Amino acid sequence: MVFSDPILLGCLLTVFLPLSAFALIMIFTRDNPKLSLAISLVAATIPLIIAWTFFFKLGGRAPIIYNFDWMVSDLVKVPFGFLLDPTSLVMFVIVATISWLVQVYSIGYMAGDPGFGRYYADLSLFALAMLTLVISSGLLQLYIAWELVGLASYLLIGFWYEKFSASEAGKKAFVVTRFGDIGFFMGLVFLVIFYGSLDIATVNSAAVANSMPPWLITTSGLLIFCGVMGKSAQFPLHVWLPDAMEGPTPVSALLHSATMVAAGVFLMTRIFPFFAASATTMTVILAISTLTLILSSTIALAATDIKQVWAYSTVSQLGFMAMGLAAAALASGTLFAGYYHLTTHAAFKALLFLCSGVFIHHFGTNDFFTMATQGGRKLVIPMACITIAALALAGIFPFAGFFSKELILTALAHLDNKLWLVLGLFGAFLTAYYSFRVIFVMLFPKSPEAYSKVPGHIAHVEDEAHGHGAHGHADDAHGHGHDEHHGVPWVMIFPLLVLASFTLILGFCQDYLEKLLLGASHPHAMNYFLLVAAVGCALSGIALAWLDWGRKDAKCVGFISRFPALQTFFIQKWYMDHFWRWFLNRFIYGIFSKWFTYNDRRVVDGGVDAVAFSTVGSGRLLSFIQTAFLQYNLLFMVVVLAGVGIYLMMGR
Amino acid sequence: MLLSPFVGLLVLLCLKNEQKFLIRAVSVVASGISLALSIFTFVAYDKGLGGLQFVEKYEWVQTFGITYFVGVEGLNAPMLLLTGIVIFTGCLTMWELEDRTKEYFIWMMALVTGVFGVFMSYDMFFFFLFYEIAVVPMYILILVWGSTRKEYAAMKLTLYLMAGSGLIIPGILLLYASSGLNTFNMLLLHGANFSPWVQKVAFILLFFGFGVLAAVWPLHTWSPVGHVAAPTAVSMLHAGVLMKLGSFAILRVGMYLLPEGFQYWANLMMILATAGIVYGVFVGLAQTDLKYVIGYSSVSHMGIVCLGLATGTIDGLNGAVFQMFAHGIMTALFFSSVGYIYDRTHTRDIHELGGFSKIMPVASAFFITAALCGAGVPGMASFWAELLVFVAAVQVFPVAGLLAIAALVLGALFALRVVQSTFFNEPNPKFVHFEDVSPFLGIPRMILIGTLLFFGFFPQIMVSMIKSSVVPFLQGM
Repeated sequence: MVFSDPILLGCLLTVFLPLSAFALIMIFTRDNPKLSLAISLVAATIPLIIAWTFFFKLGGRAPIIYNFDWMVSDLVKVPFGFLLDPTSLVMFVIVATISWLVQVYSIGYMAGDPGFGRYYADLSLFALAMLTLVISSGLLQLYIAWELVGLASYLLIGFWYEKFSASEAGKKAFVVTRFGDIGFFMGLVFLVIFYGSLDIATVNSAAVANSMPPWLITTSGLLIFCGVMGKSAQFPLHVWLPDAMEGPTPVSALLHSATMVAAGVFLMTRIFPFFAASATTMTVILAISTLTLILSSTIALAATDIKQVWAYSTVSQLGFMAMGLAAAALASGTLFAGYYHLTTHAAFKALLFLCSGVFIHHFGTNDFFTMATQGGRKLVIPMACITIAALALAGIFPFAGFFSKELILTALAHLDNKLWLVLGLFGAFLTAYYSFRVIFVMLFPKSPEAYSKVPGHIAHVEDEAHGHGAHGHADDAHGHGHDEHHGVPWVMIFPLLVLASFTLILGFCQDYLEKLLLGASHPHAMNYFLLVAAVGCALSGIALAWLDWGRKDAKCVGFISRFPALQTFFIQKWYMDHFWRWFLNRFIYGIFSKWFTYNDRRVVDGGVDAVAFSTVGSGRLLSFIQTAFLQYNLLFMVVVLAGVGIYLMMGR
Repeated sequence: MLLSPFVGLLVLLCLKNEQKFLIRAVSVVASGISLALSIFTFVAYDKGLGGLQFVEKYEWVQTFGITYFVGVEGLNAPMLLLTGIVIFTGCLTMWELEDRTKEYFIWMMALVTGVFGVFMSYDMFFFFLFYEIAVVPMYILILVWGSTRKEYAAMKLTLYLMAGSGLIIPGILLLYASSGLNTFNMLLLHGANFSPWVQKVAFILLFFGFGVLAAVWPLHTWSPVGHVAAPTAVSMLHAGVLMKLGSFAILRVGMYLLPEGFQYWANLMMILATAGIVYGVFVGLAQTDLKYVIGYSSVSHMGIVCLGLATGTIDGLNGAVFQMFAHGIMTALFFSSVGYIYDRTHTRDIHELGGFSKIMPVASAFFITAALCGAGVPGMASFWAELLVFVAAVQVFPVAGLLAIAALVLGALFALRVVQSTFFNEPNPKFVHFEDVSPFLGIPRMILIGTLLFFGFFPQIMVSMIKSSVVPFLQGM
């Protein structure tokens, strides 16, 4: 049956190939880099081919669903299966493609790392989990994949586990996302109990047909959104994502910008009708995502670590997608705006990270001021690519980001309350500013002294001029010990070029994608006011960045330094990390854990000990207690048995 | 199955102290046979047919209605499999033991005979007899081969369990006396109409009596102390199997014979179970000794078992029995990995250890797998068990269920905190010279991991097995 149905076979292969790659590498070939690489690449290439074939062959057709009962208890029935509809097919292609590109890129980036084999095993685990997440047919299966994705992320963030910061970041990522996931889990439990099915198609059609009680939709919707908040790094659970940059840069590109963190938004599109059925849920989502957008863009404009800038930018763009979806749902629009932004974002953000990876790899530092002063712009291709990606991120025509941002702003404009639109435009302005802050600094470097006033920037010391001398920066503790600059190998350049071309092309695929996703393409009535406003915001952001960082006699401190209080606030990341740390130490460890432990030792246990000791008198040794008590106990048993015996005899 | 460890025990008695290899080989073979038999019963049990199979029944003392009555059904088949796996891997793990090898393995075999007996008995007298047989060797094993305050721990454990027995005996005798059937046969007693107050009194006696062994909160404090003091294989058996005796007995004797009593006390069970889940996690967060950490995670996980039992639904019981199995394998894996590290470093302080992924990658991988299983990561057996229990719990006791789910976050923090400070970060230079697990000693751990993953990928095998007995069980109530 499996072999006669090529679609099912394809689905199964996408799941089992990465799984077997993970198992094979972990058990057998961990210490053999070449073989591990080969296994992993094979297991990534075949799903890539399958994904594109499906995309073109099945794109226009009705959803294809396979279901197999995996576990049947009583109320809890867990089917495993595959659901191939346009929503999953597009994401399938995104994940398979970027995951393949990153595997290729990593050949160069991770070369010579002692954990090379383990790295590829973890990437395969991620591919397995993420691909399953995308094509799964039931929410519980999706949840399982969701957790496995989290596991892969944990392993990859803490890849260089000897570093305390890396292992700490991994733990933080896992626990914080877990925090959201229990909400997700509770939402699913509610759905199981009060609705009875977790099949994605069924849940969606039930929500559309109003056959589900409204309170259930709202409650479960909000709870499931907790999971989205965790995974897609929405306020207040966004704190793990910037720390996750401790992982290798290709991992940041794949997991923490393009695919994994987008899983939350993907989940929203997946059960969009269900979410959209509750206006309350959507309003909450809109508020949270808007707050996230503003919060993270403001933090990004004060960061000095290039990966931190892109990380906060990812957080803000995810907020942007969620805003688009929520706004569309409230104005009874479609999921297209948010999803389209997800697609374009995947391309240009992966590109940004991979380019940054080239610089980090080359200069051995994460600080983009240092990169700039050491001649970052001499790496022509990465520099060109990063500029293209930044243009897309800022939303400049004709790059992909322009089109998708425009759509989201249109969706926001449909809302009655124009505040959302204004905030969205403000976010777009900040985005343009912080991305071009990086670009201008890199393109038009000043003398190192000019940057000495930038808060957070570690002034560069001359005798460590050759990049890799600058130890202590985040990324170079992994065995790139040699002093020469790396040449940039083609395996690292090739993915950049592919992604750059995607960034250029995707903007013009809007109609095609919309037709694919929604079945019909609606001609857009251009809102010229909005167009002007959006582009105006982006351009003024870039202009401000030019004034602050780009022009010859720029002050190089940023406009934000006019407001020292705000600047500190942003540099301290709105004190969110402090809050969580305080919460953890004060409540979890400080009150509950400590108090319970004390209680355990002194009250529960101490009470029993006191009874035991007083039985025999506190002065005696334990050995005495032992004999005394055993005999006592035996005596007790004998007495009881004798009593029962007598009772029985008398009963005769 | 019952016989093979017993025969092994007899053979061991005949061997001389010097023949260490032979002693080990005999015990491994004996436990291997029980493992093979338990797998056989698990596979050969006819789920479609259901009910009791492989029955053996001999009249013993007719005056008191005592029969030797053993059998296998869907509820105890997983427990037998668990015991078989844990004892086999436990014997392999202790291969390196040099100190009084013979006596050690003799007591292990005695313990296992008792455990198998409890799981299979359908006669209350034998049930209790085997129960005591299983408990007593524990005392000696900890006292002689233990570490860290072993006298205190052994004493404490014994006192607790004896106190538990002190509650169980009156409970059992009350049932025996008030049924008027003059039999200890559980199947016959099941038909007896106990008056409501007998049900209530007997159930609470049995619940607390057996609850001691299941580490029901607040009767749990013996268990972490006992885990810490016990030698590796004993910790494995202790946390992996013995604690399940308690919860199994609550199910088999308490709930089966006294449905009304159970209904009456279900809320109390739920409260204690939830308290255990939450409490165990919080206390575990503050521990620095690896074994204490695992000990408190056991308290928390056994709380999940209890919560499942308290729901009294098909999903809940399926989940509870599945969780007993999964947790048994998981803790066995935990303790065997910790034991390996402790045997070499002689410390279990998580602040002193560190960077073990560099020093012993394989041993670390074992522990990390167990920790992830403990954190409820899908792909491992306990994920499914917890899923079932939680759904049932939210359905029956919404507040308790949601609290228990919320404790999962801390469960993750709990597990990862230990993993981070033990296995990640810079290696402690004191320990860098230690070797990794040899392939031979890796075998038992691989078996445990394999079991966890197998039932993690194919939960239906276990669930359908348990369900075949749970459905008639609940109908009988």
